[in-house]
Amino acid sequence: MIVPARSSKKRKQHDGNESLGVFRESIDMEMLSDEEDGEEVESDNGDVDEFPEIDAGSDESNEKDENDESGDEDEDEDEDEDENEENKVIREGSDDSHEELRIFPKAKTIVSGITGQEKRVYPEIEPEYDSDSSTEDTPNRVGEIPMHWYDDLPHVGYDMDGKRVLKPARGDELDRFLETVEDPNSWISAFDKTAQADNPLTAEELDIIQRLYTNENPDANYDPYAPSTEWFTGQGKEEIMPLTAAPEPKRRWVPSKWEHKKVMKIVRAIRQGRILPNKAKNTSQPPFYAIWSESSALHAPPLPAPKPRLPSNFESYNPPEEYLPSEEDRKQWEETDPEDRERDYVPHKYSALRLVPGYDRFIKDRFNRQLDLYMAPRVQRVKLNIDPNSLIPKLPSPNSLKPYPTYRSLQVPHQNMARCISVSPDGAWVVSGDEGGVVGLWEVNVGREVKKWKFNEKIGSVEWCPRTDVIYFVVGTEDMLHFLIPPNLPPSVLQLTQSILAPSTLPPAPEVPSPVKWSTSSSNAWSDDNAILTVHLPPSSGLPSQIAWHRRGDYLASVSIGAAQGAVWIHQVSRRHSQAPFKKVRGKVQLVLFHPMKPCFFVATQQYVRMYNLSEQKLLKTLQPGIKWISSMDVHPSGDHLIVGGYDRKLCWFDLELSDKPYKVLRYHTRAIRSLHFHPTYPLFASSSDDGVIQIFHARVYNDLMTDPLIVPLKILRGHEVTEGLGVLQVKWCSRHPWLISGGADGAVNVWCS
Amino acid sequence: MGRLRQKGQAGAAKAYVTRSAAIKKLQCSLADFRRLCILKGIFPREPKSRKRANKGSSAPTTFYYSKDIAYLAHEPVLKKLREHKAFAKKLSRALGRGEWSSAKSLEENKPVYRLDHIIKERYPTFIDALRDIDDALCMIFLFASLPSNPRIPPSLIENCSRLAAEWQLYIMRSQSLRKSFLSIKGVYYQAEVMDQTITWLVPYQFTQNIPVDVDVRVMLTFLELYQTLLGFVFFKLYTDVGLVYPPPLDTKRDESAAGVGAYILQEASQKAEKPAVPKVKVVEVEGRQVSGKDVYKTIKNLASSTFKADDMDVDSPVVENKSGDVDEEFVVQPSKSDAELASSLPTLLSLKALPQSINTSLFAPYTFWLSRETSRPVFEFLVRSFGGKIGWPTSSGGGSPIDESDESITHVIIDRPVVEQHSESEEQRELRLKRKYVQPQWVVDSINAGKILLEAPYAQGETLPPHLSPFGEYEGAYDPAALTNEQAVTAEDESEIEGEDEEIEDAEPQNPEALQTVATAAVEDSVALRAAELAAEAAGIDPNTFEKEVAKSRRKSKKVPSNGVDEAEADMNKMMMSNKQKKLYEKVKHSQNKRNLERSKLEEKKRTLEKQKRKSHTT
Repeated sequence: MIVPARSSKKRKQHDGNESLGVFRESIDMEMLSDEEDGEEVESDNGDVDEFPEIDAGSDESNEKDENDESGDEDEDEDEDEDENEENKVIREGSDDSHEELRIFPKAKTIVSGITGQEKRVYPEIEPEYDSDSSTEDTPNRVGEIPMHWYDDLPHVGYDMDGKRVLKPARGDELDRFLETVEDPNSWISAFDKTAQADNPLTAEELDIIQRLYTNENPDANYDPYAPSTEWFTGQGKEEIMPLTAAPEPKRRWVPSKWEHKKVMKIVRAIRQGRILPNKAKNTSQPPFYAIWSESSALHAPPLPAPKPRLPSNFESYNPPEEYLPSEEDRKQWEETDPEDRERDYVPHKYSALRLVPGYDRFIKDRFNRQLDLYMAPRVQRVKLNIDPNSLIPKLPSPNSLKPYPTYRSLQVPHQNMARCISVSPDGAWVVSGDEGGVVGLWEVNVGREVKKWKFNEKIGSVEWCPRTDVIYFVVGTEDMLHFLIPPNLPPSVLQLTQSILAPSTLPPAPEVPSPVKWSTSSSNAWSDDNAILTVHLPPSSGLPSQIAWHRRGDYLASVSIGAAQGAVWIHQVSRRHSQAPFKKVRGKVQLVLFHPMKPCFFVATQQYVRMYNLSEQKLLKTLQPGIKWISSMDVHPSGDHLIVGGYDRKLCWFDLELSDKPYKVLRYHTRAIRSLHFHPTYPLFASSSDDGVIQIFHARVYNDLMTDPLIVPLKILRGHEVTEGLGVLQVKWCSRHPWLISGGADGAVNVWCS
Repeated sequence: MGRLRQKGQAGAAKAYVTRSAAIKKLQCSLADFRRLCILKGIFPREPKSRKRANKGSSAPTTFYYSKDIAYLAHEPVLKKLREHKAFAKKLSRALGRGEWSSAKSLEENKPVYRLDHIIKERYPTFIDALRDIDDALCMIFLFASLPSNPRIPPSLIENCSRLAAEWQLYIMRSQSLRKSFLSIKGVYYQAEVMDQTITWLVPYQFTQNIPVDVDVRVMLTFLELYQTLLGFVFFKLYTDVGLVYPPPLDTKRDESAAGVGAYILQEASQKAEKPAVPKVKVVEVEGRQVSGKDVYKTIKNLASSTFKADDMDVDSPVVENKSGDVDEEFVVQPSKSDAELASSLPTLLSLKALPQSINTSLFAPYTFWLSRETSRPVFEFLVRSFGGKIGWPTSSGGGSPIDESDESITHVIIDRPVVEQHSESEEQRELRLKRKYVQPQWVVDSINAGKILLEAPYAQGETLPPHLSPFGEYEGAYDPAALTNEQAVTAEDESEIEGEDEEIEDAEPQNPEALQTVATAAVEDSVALRAAELAAEAAGIDPNTFEKEVAKSRRKSKKVPSNGVDEAEADMNKMMMSNKQKKLYEKVKHSQNKRNLERSKLEEKKRTLEKQKRKSHTT
């Protein structure tokens, strides 16, 4: 702010110098310096500024002086009076502006030189701060605008007539260079932006440059050694009257009693030796003493930190050679992170003790130990020092629990996956059905195939009638149940069977027509090849995946996989009547079972097993095996226990007398469990799985309620191949022997004997 | 209905505080908090449920017991730390203003904290303290060997080396060193003091540099605590055996680098009859020289030379005395109510077992000479702790009780390759033949074996037998010493078998399958064997090959069923384990397998090494 103002003043002064001559210059200079002085005083010590408020006279005298001066000027120079007046007024205005904000110019009453009358004179309005007439002389016609706006144009502004003022011609670099050579003034000329031309600097400007160059004040008239004006001190300026009339207080010149007391207290203490001026260090307690001589506090000592592990042979300077790491070990050690390393050093062998170098990680090790001590959380753990084998439950040896099937005695091949098997109630015959629609009847002892039936669809299930006086079995195919009579039956049995399946007088048809149709082929078409009786399930109910007989052999239940609702049907052979036991079942029914003793019925949906009482027609229990998807289920011959297998490899043993939750959950198969079966007479059960393995268990159930059932795994039977991710699809026991029949996805039906 | 309970008012949320909360509560800086934790032995805890302890947040933090922190709030050291903070401010202001005299007086009254109460608190009984000095000893020995730098003042190092020497003196006198182990990290020592096993590690004598990633502040705080702890422990140990603590330092000998020998063990009774116990004031006024003179006087008062006195100190009567003391203690202790304490005390059984296993005066009949290149502090300590006499050349430090030409020297501990000496005088030769030259490992191995081992395998220039850790390893670990015999036999067996196999294969290419089946079947019973033999003869098989085949199948059958049946049964029984048991079983098995793997790996390596060795022998 200051610098441009000053420079403009300089310019003004310089202009005046040029136009008016020496005298004018001197006056101007004086005023200027005066002003500057005042400014400097102000800036140097601000509090001086406020002081003159007290004596108002000084200001007046100042003004008087000024007036005197101006009077002098008036005397000296008449022709410049107006200008002088002007100057004076301006200066006063600027003085005012220092003290207070001036809103509009002050009027001044002066005596006119022409009329002799008093007149009011207003200061002229400044078009620009500190402007003067010298600015009007500039050849620049465009005003104070950034000149680079004209950079691309050939002219610089316009003249009075509106003609373009062309830029002075400027040569190229070479011309400029030549100019510098030719023109003697070129070294003191500079580019003037407003004129767009090189102008030689004036002597004053050069002087300023010279001064700046020598680190002097650029103002030539500045006198650094001017005598200081003493305003407030010195001769004749002493303060005569004190500011207050109050007498000086006593405390200023009488020594304090209170302080004396305090000092005396200290002095006395020093004399008595209570205060030692250079007291020795507190050595009341020796550095070490018998700290444990007196009994300690009652609290228990804190837990001691665990001791670091003692070094092993690996750490020896001369270990046996087998402890040294191989190249791979070393590389592996280097690659692993320091935190993950088993040891924080590499074993090394030195032939002599003198060759052992210093261990460079010693301090780091110590530091890590300390970090462990104060930053690591400590947990007290009970270290289990038990033999893991003691955790394995002690069970009776399988040898003492014989007989159970141990080896494969024969194998009956099928073309396709052997989905279903059934063993006749006397345990001598087996029917097996496969995916290709072939049902084979064969004999257990030697595996001779007696008869083969061929169906068009794949077989879903096969089941013998549990009655012993009649012999037939049921085959489930798509939407149909076929009742078949095996060949070569004794005539009496055959006759009885035929009379049951196709009685001469049909029982009366039910009042409500059922969607299930029972049809018998005509008696002359009876043969071993055809079904004597066929039950047509409602269309699109799908393949009956399971057929479950009631123990009496009159009722059988079928579960179809296709149908969402009405998948379960209970058929009564004697009345040739079918009924759906459930109007609506929550969830998809997977399996059904009749209770071997009571009129109860088990229905397994995807996750739950529900137990219904058929006579009272109500729900008894809902068992929660905790299996995601139930695949198989079987009930113990005693009727008190149920095992449920799932596709998630779990096997749950339920004690029906106890809770809804399983008594035991076993998980030993590596794949889904496919089939479970209790042996009707022996205390055995078997499970088969998709891993191609059959597991035989001993399952002894006690009559007294206090003893838990004993489950002992006996034997793992391997021999089925896993094909397409499926292993052993069904297992069935022979009723009279501890023999097991298994049908696998590889198409083999195996008989396992003890 | 009970009262509704607000969350975070009880349980884990109350029992634990995070570190930042603790610092806020104590109103100190993190550095001060750490310092306090180190001194007080407070460490973070792992809550069962971090989320519950942190009031629902699962941000990673460390937790402390809030009771621990509440305890810290009343800690005098914390108060002193706060005072120190104020003092530091005052001092810096005084220095900044150039008020030197007030700065000086401030400096003089600088707050200093003592750790006595902390020691007493952390270790209510002496045994507790003794049990926990392992780390302290390691640190002291480490700092005793460090060079000083601006962060580690020389006075600290001096104090550490003093404490280290005091400990070594005590161990040598009480002859309580038990085991030692030369490892690549340094020398491990194990001592048994008042039935507590104390193990410490001393680095080899090389300059250690403090790595940049180590926080020296933490180490120094630990060191501060350890110095105090060891001071009190040593005071108790020294006074219990009737010695003056601290043992006076013979400056002259210290200047000649006598090491441990620069300290003089002084009987408390001698001290009592001498009135000139150096008072603190005297020492302060007249400085070090007076104390040095005192020391000389006491030395003169001792009947004969100090070395002999020292040696007498380290004699067996002391041991007897000590055992008697312990017996007395044992009688006294049961009257105390503290059951835990009583259980940790030595029982009669353990005391009886002790002297049988360890011969503390193992080296008593021998005199050792240390060769120049062996480490004097290590072997002086080892030999003297087991009652031996030892001397060393002046190049390894002053204070050697004997010189090299001493007639009594029986062993020379030497660690340099054999160099043929041409110009050897008769005397030298005689001396050389009289003495046994052993490598340093012999000393350590003898100590660990508890008997004087044969010198021959350790003679100068010999390839040393492997040096094994005396601390033992976990049960069933690989034992390099035990394996050698058995394994040699089995290896031979195997090689034989291999040879036989080859022979058999060479001999009968006609029908090996038939033979094998016959032989395997025949193993079962003698009748069948007989029949099989006949059948083989009929088939025209060489009887020799048949017998070999039978033997082979027998071996196989022996191996297989013993494993197979049991394992299968056990595997099946595993099905009946509950889930919890199964997990535990798997865990235990995993660690077992890991150990077994390591063991088998080592055995395998050993076998291949032996094979290579045998091959190189034969060729």
